[in-house]
Amino acid sequence: MARLLCIPVVTDAPASRRLDNGLLMHALEARHAPVVSLWVWYQVGGRNEVPGTTGMSHFLEHMLFKGTPKHPKGDLDKLLARYGALWNAFTSEDVTCYFETVPAERYPVALDLEADRMRNALITAEETEAERNVIVSEREGLENDPSFLLGEQLQAVAFSRHPYAQGVIGSKEEIKLMTRDGLYAHYRRHYAPNNAYFIVAGDAPAEELLDRAANAFGPLDAEVPIEQPKAPEPPQYGEKRVIVRRAGGALPIIQIGHKAPRASDPRSAALSALAVALGGATAGGGEAASGRSARLYRALVDTGLATTVDASYQLMKDPYLFVAEAHLRPGVTHDRVERVILEELEKMARSALSDEEFGRVRRQMLSASAFMTDTVTWRAFRFGQLLATGAASSLGEWYERLAAVTAEDVRAVAESVFQEKGRVVGWFVPEQS
Amino acid sequence: MDIRRHRLQNGLRVAVVPIPGLLSAAVLLAIEAGQWFEPIGRPGVARLCSLAMLRGTTTRDAKTWADALDAIGAAARLDVGAHAATFSAQSLGSDLDALLELMADAVINPAFADKEVELVRQQTVAQIEEDARNTRAVAERTWRELVYPKGHPFRARPIGDLDVVRAATAEQLRDHHRRAIRPDGAVLVVAGGVEAQQVFDASANAFATWRSGAAREARTIPEVRLATALRKIEVVPDKTQSDVVLGWPGLPRTDPRFVAARVTNMVFAADTFASRAGHVVRDELGLAYYVFSTLGGSRGQSPWVVRMGVNPINVERAVSTTLDELRKIVEGKVSEDDLELAQDKLVGELDVARESPAGVASLLLEGEVFELGPDYAERYPRELRAVTLDQVVEIARTFLPPEKHGLAIAGPPLPERD
Repeated sequence: MARLLCIPVVTDAPASRRLDNGLLMHALEARHAPVVSLWVWYQVGGRNEVPGTTGMSHFLEHMLFKGTPKHPKGDLDKLLARYGALWNAFTSEDVTCYFETVPAERYPVALDLEADRMRNALITAEETEAERNVIVSEREGLENDPSFLLGEQLQAVAFSRHPYAQGVIGSKEEIKLMTRDGLYAHYRRHYAPNNAYFIVAGDAPAEELLDRAANAFGPLDAEVPIEQPKAPEPPQYGEKRVIVRRAGGALPIIQIGHKAPRASDPRSAALSALAVALGGATAGGGEAASGRSARLYRALVDTGLATTVDASYQLMKDPYLFVAEAHLRPGVTHDRVERVILEELEKMARSALSDEEFGRVRRQMLSASAFMTDTVTWRAFRFGQLLATGAASSLGEWYERLAAVTAEDVRAVAESVFQEKGRVVGWFVPEQS
Repeated sequence: MDIRRHRLQNGLRVAVVPIPGLLSAAVLLAIEAGQWFEPIGRPGVARLCSLAMLRGTTTRDAKTWADALDAIGAAARLDVGAHAATFSAQSLGSDLDALLELMADAVINPAFADKEVELVRQQTVAQIEEDARNTRAVAERTWRELVYPKGHPFRARPIGDLDVVRAATAEQLRDHHRRAIRPDGAVLVVAGGVEAQQVFDASANAFATWRSGAAREARTIPEVRLATALRKIEVVPDKTQSDVVLGWPGLPRTDPRFVAARVTNMVFAADTFASRAGHVVRDELGLAYYVFSTLGGSRGQSPWVVRMGVNPINVERAVSTTLDELRKIVEGKVSEDDLELAQDKLVGELDVARESPAGVASLLLEGEVFELGPDYAERYPRELRAVTLDQVVEIARTFLPPEKHGLAIAGPPLPERD
């Protein structure tokens, strides 16, 4: 127990401000390196789409790199490249997010870029056509991966009403149908200060970081408030199954999902611990040395039934899935591995972890939090993720919630989540070419 | 950066960058045991040996070692590359002693128990079979087989050849361990919330019993130069995208022209925004979701390749556009602005990498492994800035002749060429 008590505590307390236009801003100091990482989180993602427009938020994310009247395409790209910036964007089911990590003295340039493209992206018809090919290419690259193909189907089967069923990137057919005007309308509706979070972490006093951000974003006008989609997923009354057969993979795959609570649920910290207990805190194939004491690794990899295993609980706005995944060794049947996974999940629900095992889980979980916050980019990302999903209001609060989880909490949440009625099972079955 | 160095009695070199205010420390242990040091004709033995080192020692079985590592919450992995087998890890600063002791146990005292060797063999065989349906892996394998002659250490990917992996014995792995896993030539880099003396003391304790065996055998590998353009297409069933590898054999990290080559790589294709080919292929023409080039650093001619993910109907255009951009460089049609952009990008990245302990450790590693001098971290940005346009053109002419390349394409069948 002495070892558990000596874990350093993540104590970041943000400086926060809300602008008159509704933009919520938070700043964290990170003084160990001369960099600043800023993130803009828009409350729009796959959940805001309807059939016929799936993939629109993701398509739009690409178009935000195509210039504004003030900064034509390529202008700020090159400038940020010159600074050695780490910068990119991603779209999820819940949010669309843009970030730049830059040398501290270049913070104003990155602010200028983000404030400008929040309201002034050009989104021309010509650029829309050119980018359509890139996005189709991205989709095709994902389709080459059997794990993606199975995951997409698993998600589609798991949700009968909630837009989480649609995923993020959209179908190739709908990507091809996306219009410039549709994209622009989506942009104007959702990209506004009152529908976003601004997070910054970096090498300056937090109030100073916020002052500069307020100067950049303050002049922007708010938009008519967005009504977030309400399509609650009705209860599920029995296991669902899906099989994907393709020649595109050599090894069989199993994914088993269970409906799991949203990030703001009091059980979300225990679910994070449950994922570590089953799959370890770090993933990474045969070369990974850590996470090998996890239950699924011991039951499937050490025994020669699988090559890799994973267990994941994602922080999401609405109830989503707790997913266990295994890539089977050649000659091993899906039936056998499915049975072993379900047995392991059942054990988690039946008996609390021993003190020794729970100590390892807790230690991995809390250390992983410290590793994340020791990197400026990930410190800002994690904070934004907690806020955007409703998991916690600060890094410190989330850390305290993780630290407060008990072995009995983990057992209890396993019991509540690992129910046959909330289960969806997916098999990827490789076919001979 | 405040870099402290120390050499242990067994030759292991230790470099530390304390970063006040951080909770954790990143650790990189690079051992000269990559493909370059692999037994000729046995590609895959180096990686198998490394994987088996993670499956139990003479003092702890696999389960006990894994439990101990997870008990301190460390993240760790062991990868084999062209030059080194690199143990990379992160732990809380207060756990560094325990982490180094566990790493040292795996490195110095692996048991190579038959059961565990068999497990990593079967895992590797399964991965090779999976890779046979993975377009990126197939393109990479095909390109290497096009460009490097039989017996060359880089002809196979680090995962190796199926036949070699199937036939490898525990004794072969022990033999490779005796010859290659040694402290002379190895480097331990630590960055983060630690004190330098703490690291020196802990590494001295952990690695005290590590010894080098007989002197390494000198290795002479003939230079590889392509005489013509080589091209091979591998059809991988039920795929929608083609993965493309276009490239040349590179140059050793110890070659005095390497820094100029790194700048040339950035001018050419390393980045979507800062490089000519990346910008044109993805941003202007929308031909690919990803396109980037890499130049490997080792004692030999590591691959210098452009990788692209492209719809089959766009493959020919993406490749020809990339080669057109290269021809412009070779013909001297490259501007001062192109060069400055590439240099700014490479220098700027050094600053941004300092945001994390792992980034700081990575900044140090190359200079320490290749013994580029104690002032390398300060000198390197100046060396990047000193590269001239003439050098870029000369490097491209020498190492990237557009008409003498290797081209591997893996994915669906390509449409008929005109």
